Amino acid sequence: MAPDPQSSSGLAADVRVLLRDTRVRLGLTVGPSVIWLALLLLAPLTFVVTVSFLQVNDAYQVVWQHASLANYQALFAGDGPFWTTSFFRSLVLSYKIAATTTIVCLALAFPMAYLLATHSGRVFKIVIFLVLLPFFTMYLVRAYSWYLMFGPHGVINATLLNLGITDSPLALFGYGQGAVVVGLVHAYFPYMLLSLYASLDGVDFTLVEAARDLGAGKIGALKDVVIPLTLPGIISGALFVFVPSLGAFVTPRFLAQGKIQMIGQLIEERINTLYAIDYGSAASMFIVLTIVVLFLLAFRYVSIEDLGGI
Amino acid sequence: MAERTRGQYALYAVAVLTLVFLWAPLLVMIFLSFATNSSTVFPFEGFTLSNYAQTLADTGLLTAVFHSVEIATIAAAIATVLGVLGAFGLARIDFRLKEFYRTFGILPMVVPGVVLGMALLIYFRTIIGVTTGFWTVVATHSLYGLPFVLLPVTARLYSFDRSLEEAARDLGSGTLATFAEVTLPIIGPSVAAGFMFAWIRSFEDFIRVYFVKGTFDVLTTAMYSMIKYGSAPEMNAISSLLVFAIAVLLAVAMVGGDVTGYVAGSEDGE
Amino acid sequence: MPLENHSQTDRRRFLKATGAVGAAGLAGLAGCTGGGSNGSGTPTINILTWEEYADLKDEIESNLDVNVQFTKSTSSSKMFSSWQAGQDTQYDIAVPNNNYVPKMMDAGLVDTVPKDVISNYGDVYDTFQGFASNQFTQDGSLYGVPIRFGWYGYSYNSDTVPDHEQSYEALFDPQYTGADLSGKLIMYDDHFKAMSAAALYLGYSDAFEGAKITLSKDQISKVKQTMIDQKDILQGYIAADPTYIKSFKQGNFALGQSGRNEIVELWTEGVDSATMATPKEGSLAWFESAVVSKKSDHKDMAWKVINQFIAPKLGAKLAKAGYSPSCNPKTQQNLTDHENEMYGSIDPSRLQNMIPFKAVENEDAWITAWEDVKSA
Repeated sequence: MAPDPQSSSGLAADVRVLLRDTRVRLGLTVGPSVIWLALLLLAPLTFVVTVSFLQVNDAYQVVWQHASLANYQALFAGDGPFWTTSFFRSLVLSYKIAATTTIVCLALAFPMAYLLATHSGRVFKIVIFLVLLPFFTMYLVRAYSWYLMFGPHGVINATLLNLGITDSPLALFGYGQGAVVVGLVHAYFPYMLLSLYASLDGVDFTLVEAARDLGAGKIGALKDVVIPLTLPGIISGALFVFVPSLGAFVTPRFLAQGKIQMIGQLIEERINTLYAIDYGSAASMFIVLTIVVLFLLAFRYVSIEDLGGI
Repeated sequence: MAERTRGQYALYAVAVLTLVFLWAPLLVMIFLSFATNSSTVFPFEGFTLSNYAQTLADTGLLTAVFHSVEIATIAAAIATVLGVLGAFGLARIDFRLKEFYRTFGILPMVVPGVVLGMALLIYFRTIIGVTTGFWTVVATHSLYGLPFVLLPVTARLYSFDRSLEEAARDLGSGTLATFAEVTLPIIGPSVAAGFMFAWIRSFEDFIRVYFVKGTFDVLTTAMYSMIKYGSAPEMNAISSLLVFAIAVLLAVAMVGGDVTGYVAGSEDGE
Repeated sequence: MPLENHSQTDRRRFLKATGAVGAAGLAGLAGCTGGGSNGSGTPTINILTWEEYADLKDEIESNLDVNVQFTKSTSSSKMFSSWQAGQDTQYDIAVPNNNYVPKMMDAGLVDTVPKDVISNYGDVYDTFQGFASNQFTQDGSLYGVPIRFGWYGYSYNSDTVPDHEQSYEALFDPQYTGADLSGKLIMYDDHFKAMSAAALYLGYSDAFEGAKITLSKDQISKVKQTMIDQKDILQGYIAADPTYIKSFKQGNFALGQSGRNEIVELWTEGVDSATMATPKEGSLAWFESAVVSKKSDHKDMAWKVINQFIAPKLGAKLAKAGYSPSCNPKTQQNLTDHENEMYGSIDPSRLQNMIPFKAVENEDAWITAWEDVKSA
């Protein structure tokens, strides 16, 4: 630094004194982001919770009176018992699709994570490039690419027909729940892979060998050594696949031809056609609560730093 | 390593098939982007560049791309400033509610887009009463990008040997000089990685923008209407161009720095 | 980005209170409410409407001393909900379907039509003048100007579907046409259009008689059940008109709910096998109606722009762009015989036998039933 004039070094000294105060330092470091989080996350989520107990009038304004459970009752009210309502069905379907997606991701990611963790150099770089490129490609582009592949006359069926493997389009490769799971696996697979890789990377594979030498057997080695070591990776990977799959909107929109309805679609339609923010708020509470529960469960096994890996 | 067993070959086979699964739809799409018949492989009618010409002449689409770049850059810059400052607080200062802050700090990337988008829409439109548009999208994305900066920079600061800073100070460096000469070069790559992630998240986000964008379009919302309204030729071409662009950027980033380390969150990968 | 002019002292106090970064963000947020049409000289008219209208930009700007700015919208409900949410300050004109005009009137969003400015209004088909006075006239004041029209029924691929007595039954009974159409049928992915077709199929045409469509609770649940049963034979729900065209050409379905304009577009692309059916239960007729925001700063100019939409020459161009006839028959002078046949000289007396689109009573019940269908 150039030699300072008198006043400036006085100022520097003042600043230094100020910075010694923890509150000032906190204000300068976490302060701005706390304001941001309070204004753009805490406040909106608080209003969503509040609105879920209120009603909206015909002018689309919130009526700040008469808090009630009416919106929640409406979600489960219909002609029949609550499990026949569209909300309940959509919720269950969303859990089902998100769980299937998570399991498929886990099954596919383990071999590749193992491969990455036990290799270095060229193979590693190439494989990681091939995995990361789709990962960084827009979510929408990937959903669209599957939209081309599926369908009665999509690329898969057209190819099978032309090769004479089948003589009419196969329903398996048509739009529907299966296509949605495929699209979601493709979208969120890298989260699982990278979480698993991060935890496998630290594993000393000679331990695995040793366990097997000691007669643990393959399954035993997997159960007693590999899984406990990679549990944080499995849990954080599962969370980062399950949670966004639960709220999926684009993928089911394009890959099911309107024939299924996940909870994200239900909320979107109510908001964008009717601006039914009371209904939407109550419905989204079920996603929010699910996340809170899942995270509380996850924290029993992994620390928050491990979760933040991605 | 021991000789390869049958089990290992099975693992390789699954890994290779998974790579095929990841790539097949993208390769088909790129193929179709050059095909005259742009919606399916059969009947194949030859190759053309007209899909690209048509796409690059679509001024509406190019404006949307420009909006996306503008928003991603402003939002990622805000997220980076807030995130780097916050990371210093997390790593260097002990305070009550630290865990609370940390949890809230990662929430923006955890809350599903439909919920965050709807919550912010209600907040902007009904609670505050601003008209949704460019700046509501920037605000939303600056929030969404925050964790993507906060996490890698905090991790870097934790693993950083503070004695280096002390040594510099003992050698007579001022606070600012120490920061510029010691701290910044060490955290620099993680800041850059954070900025990049925040930028990409903003650029590729659809659902949050869809709620808070009002009536103007960014690239993803323009693409969404293309799919919904079925303009396959342009959609194939613009999507393929994005894959090419990301391939180049990623290759450069991987040669230049440890992308994997930041993505997987393992700092010892260096 | 235009920032509102906060006074300097206000801003300083604000900065003190919330910290520089937060304030920068809020100022930015507040800033986006301003915009567009300020300044003197040539006014700018902002229009929220369907894509094809933008083709008229150059002509309108050369005919009137005005800048027009078109923003594409893809549904009437979005036009309505965005105005409702405050964008009525940002736009001067919107052109929703007729059934949305009463909703906008009820919400106090739209202004009355100065008939003297709309010099072309007198030329509009009597049918539409009648619909307009019936559906969106209050205390003698008119609130919207009919621009284009068309109708929804269903259509089919005559290569694979035999001729049949045209009825909505074709959408609900896969054997009805004589060919097996199981898995080759599509419906609109829109609660209003899809449920209306089901209601007509079930014979509830009385519900379409009044000022609004009124289905009883029982009728709604019958419609719902019919549509749930229908799901197994459907290929899917189609998101929008252009998807129909693409999907038809790919051969993804054989018969589906559709509007006449898609079929005309297919004809112009040389797909002759597309056949528009006129179901005996009645087609659903729609017309778009231009409205002006109560909050517009340039109402007079906005109505002049709307007058251009139905001018003989520009109306013809609009008909061509969207394959939908204009509500002003004088546009026929500017179309060829062939064009007239497709989207020009459509006799609106045909519309007398059709069922006009109307606002729906108890829309919440419709939506709930629709969600039940989708999640079944």
